[in-house]
Amino acid sequence: MAEYELDCLGEACPVPLMKAEKKMKDLKAGDVLIVHIDHSCAMKNVPEWARSQGYNVEVDEVDDGEWDVVIEKV
Amino acid sequence: MSESATVPVQRTITRNTSKRRKKKNQLPIALGVLLLIIVIGILLSIFQSTTVGLFWVFGCTFGFILQKSRFCFTASLRDPCITGSTSITKAVLIAFALTSIGFTAIKYSAFAAGETIPGMSYVRPISLATVVGGIMFGIGMVIAGGCASGTLMRVGEGFMMQVLALAFFIIGSLWGAHDMGWWNLNVIADSPSVFLPDVFGWFGAIVIQLLIIACLYVAADLWERKKMGIKDEE
Repeated sequence: MAEYELDCLGEACPVPLMKAEKKMKDLKAGDVLIVHIDHSCAMKNVPEWARSQGYNVEVDEVDDGEWDVVIEKV
Repeated sequence: MSESATVPVQRTITRNTSKRRKKKNQLPIALGVLLLIIVIGILLSIFQSTTVGLFWVFGCTFGFILQKSRFCFTASLRDPCITGSTSITKAVLIAFALTSIGFTAIKYSAFAAGETIPGMSYVRPISLATVVGGIMFGIGMVIAGGCASGTLMRVGEGFMMQVLALAFFIIGSLWGAHDMGWWNLNVIADSPSVFLPDVFGWFGAIVIQLLIIACLYVAADLWERKKMGIKDEE
């Protein structure tokens, strides 16, 4: 049940998505990855991709225009 | 800032939110901006012309919808390649279908009334230049993280990287406009330009256009199912 963080602040689409995709491969089931993003487009496609993979996803707006996407691998 | 900054921390998915900065209430700013948009719109209609005022309103509305819907032409062509997701592709195709109907209505009503059909100067020759330009634009927009409208919208959101993209977008546009005459004369002008209603008739043109869009829609849907695996839960 480890938790990892991925700092994608300042990265434009599709970099956060590709980094998250790559990182999720290293995670074990039950592990959680938190992706920090501030690009509005990634706020859409990262959760969409993760849900399509069957992961649990939560999006949290931590500040104006800044989000944490919490992905739990199942 | 790199990927190696991933540190394992023990926490659960229910996260501690207590030490978070409290967000500022942006409602007064929003109301102020709305008021400013209305005032500028009224001033433009009085001192310029109603058309300019209308352009202003359309521009503001378009930007607002673009931002709120997270509509992205770049993602519509990029995401199918990266993740296989075609939800935005399908949204763009639906938008194309709707605008096709809208444009046909505008053009046909002008044609039926015997007036000059508006927007005919945009029926441009198609040639290899279209393909090459499209590929170049595609590469550029994926690197910049947005097409023209997307870049403008994210500059408005305050995404600094795309301010840089905007700067080069302007330089590129100016350069393009500067040399466009030469390209037009030497490369593009001899190619055929096709206006579908001339070929298939007004009704045929819209039917064929919508059929092509429908085929692309089905293809996009099948692509998503193939690439992402059919997951029909929820």
